[in-house]
Amino acid sequence: MSDTMELARKDETAVSRRDGDRPQRRMTLTPAVDVFEDSQGVTLWADLPGVTKDRLDVKVHDGNLFIEAEAVVPTPAGLRLQHAEIREPHFARAFSLGADLDVSKVDANLKDGVLKLTIPRREEARPRRVEVRTG
Amino acid sequence: MSDLYFGTDLFSEFDRLQRQMAGLFGGFPSSIRSGRLGAFPEVNIGSTDNSVEIVAFAPGLDPASLDVSIDKGLLTISGERKPAYPENTDDNARVYAQERFAGAFRRVIELPEHADPDQVTARYTNGCLAISVGKRETSKPKAITVQ
Repeated sequence: MSDTMELARKDETAVSRRDGDRPQRRMTLTPAVDVFEDSQGVTLWADLPGVTKDRLDVKVHDGNLFIEAEAVVPTPAGLRLQHAEIREPHFARAFSLGADLDVSKVDANLKDGVLKLTIPRREEARPRRVEVRTG
Repeated sequence: MSDLYFGTDLFSEFDRLQRQMAGLFGGFPSSIRSGRLGAFPEVNIGSTDNSVEIVAFAPGLDPASLDVSIDKGLLTISGERKPAYPENTDDNARVYAQERFAGAFRRVIELPEHADPDQVTARYTNGCLAISVGKRETSKPKAITVQ
């Protein structure tokens, strides 16, 4: 019992140390993502069903990418929930970005509840062919 | 040391998982047809006095490829979701994560006996499919006047 308490307390301090800017820890869903890279950069798709543009927050801070969103599903008045597979309509996920990615050129597009993020590589980090001269 | 290896979030992740499981199994009994845990799309079901409301969380679908049908009191949602990334890629292309569902799906929901299959509306917005099935007149709550 005391062990559990110890762990819980320890965890709490660890979380507050890391997420100092977040006042309280809310229960969130981790959206499923696809991540794909080609020579141009990284493309990420995230499933955010029920999320509209104004309820979506994409931030880049200290080389980390944060995706936070809230789903809104219009329901008729007097609805009694009988079966729920999604209870907390809050989504959150974070990624760290490598230095070779150009965070100033991140493009975000939300369509039908899918967020598509394209993060291009820095110009100097793109693969290029070096011409070999003869003579 | 332990912070480094166990990460700060492991215990809260377990806690979250446990709460989600408890929420799924401890709350309401789930249907024998509901399938495995985490099936695509995830479904919430509720009811009002006049209707049964179903929301399927199915982002990134073409509404034309979604098939909703009712047969003998069973509501079926089926369709197919294509993978997001391009199939023909150059040699330098790499896939790092592929967590999102791709492929054909089918979910079957048992409707209550008083659901009226003639009064169904389905609407796809922001990746959510909202289906409303009306209830038959006889099953609606009614105030009875005492004489």
